This record gives sequence, C-alpha cells and structure tokens, in this order.
Amino acid sequence: MTKKHEPGMAYDMKKLNKVFAFLSVIFLLTVIWVFLDDYMRPWKMVQIEAMKIKRGKIDAKIKKAAAAIDSEKLSQLNAKLEEGKKIVASRKVELDKISKALGLISRDLKDETIINGQLNAQISALTFNYGVAHANHDKSAHSLFDQMQVKKGLFAKSKNNLKTLDSKKKVLVADEKKLREEFLSAERGIKEILNTKSLLTQAKATTDIDPIFVIRNAPLGDFLDPTVKIQQLVAKNITDDRYFQHVPKVDRCTTCHTFIDKPGYEEQPNPHKTHPNLDIMVDKDSPHPMKSFGCTTCHGGEGHRVTDFNSIAHTPETPEQRAEWIKKYNWHEPHKVPHVMFKKSMTEASCVKCHQGVEWIPQAHVLNEGRRNIEKFGCYGCHKIKGWEHKRKPGPSLKKIASKVDKKFFKSWVWDPKSFNKHAKMPRFFEQDNNSSPEFIKKNVAEVNAIADYIWSISSDYKPFAKYSGGNKKRGKELVKDIGCMGCHGADGFAKESKKIDAYAGPFLTGIGSKVDADWLVSWLKKPSHYQEDTIMPSFRLTNKEANDITAYLMSLKNKTFEKLDFESLDESARDEILISYFSAFDTKEVAEKRLSKMSSHERTLELGKRSIGKYGCYSCHDIEGFDGRAPIGPELTKVGSKPLTQFGFGHEHDVEHSRDGWIQAHLINPRRWDNGVDKPFKDLLRMPSFGMSEKDAKSITIALIGQVGDYVPLGGVKRLNHLETVTEKGMKVVNKFNCTGCHQVDGTKGDILGMFEDDLNEGPPRLNGQGHRVQADWFYHFLSNVYPIRPWLKVRMPSFNLSNKEKNAIVAGFQAKSDLHTFEDLGSQVVWEPGERSAAVKLFKSLDCTSCHSGGFTSDEASAPNLHYAKRRLRPSWIKKWLEDPQAILEGTVMPSFWEDGESADPDILGGDPKKQIDALTKYIIEIGHDKYSPNAK
Amino acid sequence: MKELINWLAEPIRSFPIFTILFILMLKYYKVIGTKKFGWGALIASIPVVAWFAADPNFIKIILWPDNIPINILIVLVSFFTWLTLYKCAENDNRLEAGEVPVEAMPENREKVWSWPNLVYTELFAIIACTVFLIAWAIIFKAPLEEPANPTWAPNPAKAPWYFLGLQEMLVYFDPWMAGVVLPGLIVVGLIAIPYIDTNPKGNGYYTFSERKMAISSFLFGWLVLWVYLIIVGTFLRGPNWTFYGPFEFWDFHKVEAMYNINLSEYIWIKMLNTPMPGNLVMREIFGIILTIFYVGALPVMIARTNFGQKLIEKSGQIRFYIFIFLALGMTSLPIKMVLRWLIDLKYIIALPEWELNL
Repeated sequence: MTKKHEPGMAYDMKKLNKVFAFLSVIFLLTVIWVFLDDYMRPWKMVQIEAMKIKRGKIDAKIKKAAAAIDSEKLSQLNAKLEEGKKIVASRKVELDKISKALGLISRDLKDETIINGQLNAQISALTFNYGVAHANHDKSAHSLFDQMQVKKGLFAKSKNNLKTLDSKKKVLVADEKKLREEFLSAERGIKEILNTKSLLTQAKATTDIDPIFVIRNAPLGDFLDPTVKIQQLVAKNITDDRYFQHVPKVDRCTTCHTFIDKPGYEEQPNPHKTHPNLDIMVDKDSPHPMKSFGCTTCHGGEGHRVTDFNSIAHTPETPEQRAEWIKKYNWHEPHKVPHVMFKKSMTEASCVKCHQGVEWIPQAHVLNEGRRNIEKFGCYGCHKIKGWEHKRKPGPSLKKIASKVDKKFFKSWVWDPKSFNKHAKMPRFFEQDNNSSPEFIKKNVAEVNAIADYIWSISSDYKPFAKYSGGNKKRGKELVKDIGCMGCHGADGFAKESKKIDAYAGPFLTGIGSKVDADWLVSWLKKPSHYQEDTIMPSFRLTNKEANDITAYLMSLKNKTFEKLDFESLDESARDEILISYFSAFDTKEVAEKRLSKMSSHERTLELGKRSIGKYGCYSCHDIEGFDGRAPIGPELTKVGSKPLTQFGFGHEHDVEHSRDGWIQAHLINPRRWDNGVDKPFKDLLRMPSFGMSEKDAKSITIALIGQVGDYVPLGGVKRLNHLETVTEKGMKVVNKFNCTGCHQVDGTKGDILGMFEDDLNEGPPRLNGQGHRVQADWFYHFLSNVYPIRPWLKVRMPSFNLSNKEKNAIVAGFQAKSDLHTFEDLGSQVVWEPGERSAAVKLFKSLDCTSCHSGGFTSDEASAPNLHYAKRRLRPSWIKKWLEDPQAILEGTVMPSFWEDGESADPDILGGDPKKQIDALTKYIIEIGHDKYSPNAK
Repeated sequence: MKELINWLAEPIRSFPIFTILFILMLKYYKVIGTKKFGWGALIASIPVVAWFAADPNFIKIILWPDNIPINILIVLVSFFTWLTLYKCAENDNRLEAGEVPVEAMPENREKVWSWPNLVYTELFAIIACTVFLIAWAIIFKAPLEEPANPTWAPNPAKAPWYFLGLQEMLVYFDPWMAGVVLPGLIVVGLIAIPYIDTNPKGNGYYTFSERKMAISSFLFGWLVLWVYLIIVGTFLRGPNWTFYGPFEFWDFHKVEAMYNINLSEYIWIKMLNTPMPGNLVMREIFGIILTIFYVGALPVMIARTNFGQKLIEKSGQIRFYIFIFLALGMTSLPIKMVLRWLIDLKYIIALPEWELNL
C-alpha cells in the first residue's frame, strides 16, 4: 500500500466508479449479445429468402397479368368513366333527394329492428313463463296467455312494418343505381380487366418488408404474432418414440422447406424446392398428405429440431455432397440419433414400415427392386424376415440328389458354384478372405467331402420313368426359346434374351450335360413333380419328341473345364481335428478323443457331414432329410434397420462408411471382410457366403433391409389391407411363388419374358390386365388344372402347374379381388332379346367381320384371335362390353380393333347407330352362340 | 515423445510422479514461491501447451464443452497454489529474519469502510462473473444430448466434473466405500478441521514453516487425491472407463488386460495352496486382521513414535486419534491404488455375501 487514500478507504472512489462504468457497459453489451444470439436463427434467414423467391414469382405473374391487359379497352373505359361522372353530376338534385330519403328510411328500419327484437325477446320469455304456469295449473296462466297474445300481435305488426320499409328501401336503391348507371358500368368494366393484377398485387403485399413486418418480427415483440415463425406438422396417427412415452410425431421441416407442398418451385435449389412426387406424397390430395404423415415418417431424422442444419440429422447422399455440406453448413455426423435421415436415394426403404404383408408396394420401384433381389438371392432362406415366411426355400430339395448328379459334381459345385455356372445363385462359402489359408482350405475340403458323403448316405432312391431316345438338338434349342422356358430360366445360346428377361426363378441353363444324365432330364421335363413333389417347375405337356429334342439340346451344353476338375479327397486328420473341436465344446479333449476313437472312419465322416450341414446352414435353403424344423442359420433381419449402429461389427474395416447402410452394403459385397486382421479359430470364422453381388444389387437389398425398422406405428397410421386387398395379396403370393409374373404381366407389373417380345407384345404371353374381371371364376379355376390353348397362334405355352386346390382358389380369388370384384355377379347366361335386337346383332357380327380373326368354329382360316364359342363360360359379359367399347383401354397395343371409337358407331344403320345398344346386342349374340363348356377338351 | 507422455500418463506412473512433484513442490516452496519462478513457469508452459494443443486428439478432449470447467480449474488451481506458496515464502523469509509477516505490518492493519471498499467491489465481481458466464454459455453451448435412451447409454458415462474424483475412486473401491464411506469421511474431515487444528499460528497471515503438517496433509488430499483424480477422470478416461493417454484416439474397442484377485484368494490359493474355507469370516480372516491392524493398531503405534508423541503433546489424545483416523482414511486410497497396480488386488476383505468389500 504505497499510495495513501482518504482515511477509511482502501481505493480511490473515482477509480472505482470508472471500473463500475466500464463493467456496466460490458454487461449491457453482453445482454444485447444474448438477445441477438437467441434471436438470430438460421431458419429465419431461410424464410426471408423464401419470401423473396415468392415475391419474384408474383412479380413475374403481375408482369404477365399486366401484359394481358387490353390497354385500348381500358382507356376507352376510363373515358367512359369520366363521361359517366359528368352525367351523374348533372343529376345531382335527384340523387341528393334520394340519398336523403334513404337516410330516413335507414333510420326507421333500424328503429323498427330494435322494436322487433325487443318484442321477440319478450315473447320468448312469456312463452316460457306461460308454459310453466300452464303445466303447474297456476292461476297466472290466463293473464300470461293474454299478455303473450298482445305481444304477438304487436310483433306481427312490427314485422310487417319492417317489410314495408325494406321494400321502400329497395326501390330507392334501385333508383339511385339507375341514376348512376353510366358511371357504375364503366367502373365494373375496369375492375374486371384489372382483377387478376389487383389480386396479385394484394398477394405481393404479404411479402413486403415494411415497418409492420419489422414490428411483428422484432426481438422480444415477436412472441405476439410473428410472420417469420416455426411451422409445424403434428401427425396424430404416427408417433415418435421418446423412450418412456410415444408422442404424436411433430415435424418442423416445413420451417425451412417452405414450398415443399406448392407446385411451381421445382427449379428452386433446396430447401425451397417443391417435393418431386406430389402425386403420391405430401400433397393434400395424394395418398400421403403431409398433414397426416409428416416428413420424417418416411425420410427419418429428427424432424422436430430446427436448431440448425445438423440437428435434424440430414444425411448426405454422396461423399461429394458430404464435402459440400461440411463446407456450407459445417455438417458433422449426428450424435446418438437412433434413426438418422435416410439418404435421398434410400427413402423408399421407409415404405416397409407401414406397408406390411404385400408382395410389391405400388410405385416403390427402388424398394421393389431390392425386394426382388432378396427373393432372387434367397436372403430370407437363412435370415428370418417377418412377412417373408411364406416363401419357399430358395434352393432345390436334396432329398434325392444322389440320383440326379454325381458326387464329384456335387463337391466341385459346393466348393465353387460359379465355376460351373457363372449365373449360379448358390453362393460361395470357400476360398474367401477369411478361410483361404492352406490349413483352412484343407479343413474346408474335409467338410465338403463329408457333407457329400452324408447327403449321399441319406438320399432316397429315384428312378427316372422315361428313357432318352435321341432328339434333334436344333429343334430342342428352338423349343427352349419358343415355349417359354426363359420366363424362369436364362439359357446358354440366348445371351441377349436372357439378359433382357433376367429370369431367376429357375437356374440358368448352362453346362447341364455335365450335371445330369439324359434319362433324368427327359423325365424331369415331362413331369417335374415325379422327381420333386413340391417343385414349382411346371409341365409343358411336352410330347415325347419335344422332350427328347429339348434334352438333346440341353445335354449338348457341357462345361468341359468343370468336368475336368478333381476334388481333393478327404484328409482324415483334418476331419478328426474338426470333430474333436466339436466334441470338446463342453468336454475335455481326452473325452472328445475317446468318443472319436469309438467311431469308425465312415461314422466320423458322416458325423462331420451332418455337423457341417448344420454349421453352414445348407438346410436353410435346401430340403435335407433330418433337418426339418431347424431354425434358419442367419440372424433375424426383421428389425435390422433399428439395430443400433454400435452393434454392427465394423472390425478393423475403417474405409467402410460408418452407417447402417454402409455396413450392410459392404457386408453383402464381401461378408467376410470383418474377419480381416482378426485372429480366429476355424470354428469361429464368419460363415455368411459370398454371392458375388454387384454394387447395384447390394445397394438395392440394403435399401430394402434398412427399412426393416422396429418402430411402432399406431394402427391408425399403418396401411391396413381391406378385405379385397387381403384376398388379392393371398393370391399374389401364390402367383409369385410359381413365378406366373415371369411370363404374364399382371396389371402392368413384371412379365419378365415380354422383354423377348418387344417387337410385338401380342406374340408373348397374354398380359393380364383386370384378369379377375375378364374371366369367370369357375372357368379360371378349371383352366388352372386343365390348361388348353386359347390363342392357338402363340408359340409360347401356358404350362400346367402342380397347384393344390388351396393355391388355385387363392389365385382365382386373388385376381378377382384385384379387379375389385366380389364373388357373385350375374353372368347373364340366359339371353333375352329385345324385339329386332337379334337380327341386328347377326347383321353387326357380319358387318364387323368378327370371324376374320375369330375364325375358330366359323371358317377354316387360321385363327388369330380366341375362339368365340368358348367365350360364354370364359368371359364375363360386363367385361365383353367393356372390351368391345375400347380394347386399347384394357390392353394397349392389342390387335382387336376399336369399332366404337369416341363413342361413335361405324354402322349408323343398325339399331339407330346407338353404340350401347349395338355392344349389348353383340355381347348377347356371343353368349348365345357359346358352347356350354369350359374348353374344347371339357366334357 | 507423445508415446512417452501417453505411457507416463497412466495412473500407475503418473500418480507417483504427481506425488513426487507434490513433495518437491513443498520442499522447494521458497524457490517456487518467487515471481521469477512464476513468470518463468508461465512462459515455459506456453509452448508446451501449444505443442499439446496441436495434437488433434488432445485438442478434441480439451475443447469438449463438458471439459471447459476442468481447463479453468487447472489454470486457477495452479495460479492460486503458486500464489499461496509465494505469500508463504515471503512471510517465512521475514519470520526467519525476525520481522513480522506482511499482513501484520502497521499499514496493512489499518481498517477501512466496508462500503464502498467491500460491497462495491463485490458488486464488480458479481457483474464480471455474470458477463463471464453469459459469454461462456454463448460460445460453448450447453452440452445437452439426446433424450435419454435406456437402450443406448452414453459411453463413457461420466459424472459431473466435480464428482469425477469420486467416480475415479470407483475403479479401486466397492461402490459403498467409494460412494458413501469415503465421501462421508471427506465431509466429516473437512468439518472437523477447525476442531482438530487448534494451532493459532498462521491466523491472518500466510505461512508454511509454522503450519507444515496442516498444509501438506490438506494439499495432498486436495491436489493429489482430488484434483489429480478429476483430471484423470475428465481427460484420460474414455469409452468403457478405459484409460487413454492424452494423445490417444478414443478407440471404442480398446481393451485393457485386467483380472483382479482378492487378497483371500492370494493367500489361501496361491500362497497356502489350500481350498478356501467355507466359513466367511475364516475365509477373509487375513483381510480382517489387516484392516483391524490398520485402523486399530496403527494409530496406537504411531502414537508411540516421536512424531506421535509430539502431536499428542500439542493437541491431546482425542484430537490425535481423530486426526490419525482421518489421515489413514485418506491414505487408504493411494494404498489401494498402488496395490491394484502392483498385484491386481481386488478387495482386501471380499464379503459380497454381506455386501462388505474393502
């Protein structure tokens, strides 16, 4: 304390005051800083930007409206207006008189209205009082009644006064209008011309940044009624899981995505862009209006947050976009958000959340592609996925395999299926990233040998019923192409077609000559169910010659390099070593060795074979004796889209994108990569096999899988199938099982084989548009078990499927329900003619020359349309009428001509040229001439 | 160099280093407590801190909003510790020279008005503090996380920074020891200080030479056992409460080789090579004896030493025993830590059946 202050003071007061002043200023600045920091939100800038965009749009519209104004007419009208003003001014005296009278009348009217209102109130009160008095037999009832009558009289009088005054007023108003007519008519004309523009100008005013705007949005004042504010949607039927409670979903995305539901902003950059699919999403008339479904229901992410760009958990589509966002928005990986937003290209994954129990989801093309690939690669065989349980096992039954292929083929095939058939769907388990060391290969070889021995030991006997007697290779090849094999099989020699069709229900036909023997093949082709009862391979009703020809062709397809492959024989020490590791799982090594020593070499091999089938899960895809009821080998995928990211084992693979889809996609392409750099014993190696999947296929499957979330969606929010839809889906499941859609396009979807008939779709299998409405249910049922050629000119054949009654019924009912038809319909088989109608029908039938194409049963010409004699039991009359009316509407590109184009008859002389009457008559005629038989072969 | 620092930072090494530094600091407090040393240390620390901060992993931990208070704590604790030593050194030099402490000089004994000298300046402090807190709150947003998700807990799950010392103790002790008994002892001990320490010396002035015992035992508890553990808990404990060096990336998958063994298992199985007795007390008898010795016999033995005799002389029997008990409670923490590091000791007494683990 060198400086001396006043007594009793440690500091200089002036200095203290200065410090206080300084601190106060700093404090004030900090307070202002707090307010500004709180006030300035990123979304406010976005909304002001949106206002500017909207203003620009309105400006353009105003310009357009201004240009549309007829200026000449406008100036004429303006002149008229001036003139009118003068004329009206000259009538000033009369007008003044009228306006004075009007004033008086208005006064009287108001007065009378008051009187009337008072009387009305008094009467109501009296009515109540009288009612009570009367009911209680009170003495006052009489006097109340009298009073009421008096008031009622007054009321009637007053009402009458009102009417009189009103009519007087009307007369005066009309007079006034007449006196001002010249002026008013010009004014009306001007208003009409300027209407659009003035409305737009009003709209523009809402985007003004004027003092009122500033006051409404000023800091502190903006709690009252701001114009720049957070917008939110509350979806009542969809909830957000807040862990302890489900709350209605709140999405505030529209705070920044300002024009998402407004068409006309498609070309704007995000976030001001219009939603690209307004016809199915967002729009209030679409099936998924924004108000009921919100945004994050489909897109994922944290829709209620508007803090900044990151808080919502936006996910970039590509590394480039990621880099752009980091630069632009300071983007970073979301922390601990259970469901980050889906990448834009993966949004369709969300459909699965609500659309359960259906084979295909309409319009979800990306997702359907993924689901198709799940089916193609048979993912559901090893991995349980809810909603896929009904699917058949992806691989063929191995119960009689010993009589189909030889053991050496079997082993080489299991070792590397693609070396035999590069299109093979069977995945590869061996020589992968994690099991290619010599030691593991030796053990794998032992396992494959053992599996073969085991399968052979339990394989049942089978003897083909037919003998191959030689055939024409060339004809066989043609048949393969013509009769429709390629709806399910790709085939060697038809590379171009196979690629277009991309069939996957059956194996790609290559190297068959090196796989099976000719007798087996002939039998199989003639009657597939003879070898495997539950196969989906149908019979094409081949003649012996046809079957032999096809066999000749298929047997000529050989894979010489594969045939030359030798499979290493079983290494007994490797076998024993693996067995000991199995046996010692719960026992000591000594006990395990003792157990092993009690077994013969053959027993050991079979034991290893059986255990290896269990280990690799062969039974998940193939029917194998003794493995019925075992759970599939892979983990369930029903909720894989909700599995926490931390539970995905990324191992040491740091170049894999750290997201669910990143992991799944990397896993599908190379499932064994997670073992890289991990030291594991043989028995613990990852076992998911490699499908040699392309990045595109892997991505599509990834999309389908990440949509498998565990989110709870209240019943009100999910898509619930109605009765007809349920029946439809049951039918479509069977349709899918037997791959009907490999050939038939059903209401516009699939119909893979049509890829081969691009030049003329009418040469391909018939497209089934509204099939449930077209054919009668009984006929359909009969047809499925008794196929006959309806269109004799087609080379492609409808095969005979080995369908159960239940399956047939499901198909028939499914198609019927798909066409919105209930079970019963008047088929009108009893024809009742109007007078003169029949002769008109006959005339019409001739004049339209129906028999030139529908020649069957009429002429001996070659038919190019179905036989009309079988239409009676096959087609529904209501469909025939619809078909006649406009065939193109049902089947685009059909050769059936439209005789009543645009509702006009080509023949005005018959039945007065009335198209409806003509069509009715023709339909009746077709029914009348029809045979009462389902088909030519039916009794 | 960074590897070396990572290696040194592990508690097994950094704790002894910190303790030695602490002892050196007290021993050479007159060197440290000079302005020259203060400035020198500040200037020397700038490039060191800059070099540390240049490391991406280190700066990430330092700037994590949760950890800002600890940074401030380190700076403040360093400064005030130095300030204390400086004042102590100044006064002790004066006392040695036979002068009165600075605080007892006549000009410093003069009395002043509490208004404005005290109240007004307190107002300044309030305003400055508020400004500081507001600016802090704006610049480092509150580290609020997602709504609590019971199926996805944060990893590492950390206590608030002021409890991180306690959480660190959980590594070495049974929860009821680390969470109830030891914190209770700390609170009781702090309350008891004025009653145990009746030494009037040092009242109203800084001195170390006259209060060696009190200052060193308090600072040991505060700096080594509390602040050090908070720093470890904040900066050096990552996912799964695994230890990570200051420059180490917090790899979620890091595994430490740890297998802890109870004292009873050591003695019965490893040393005596006999089965564990079925009787619980018999089984844990060595630990029980050891504990009774530690809390019962050790104080008596200390009382017999010269040091103990002197203390008893000064403060009396009861104060002595209470003090020794508290001091032993405090030292039980480093003892247990060292035992854990040296021989993977789990519990000295392991009676999970009675929920009694020491």
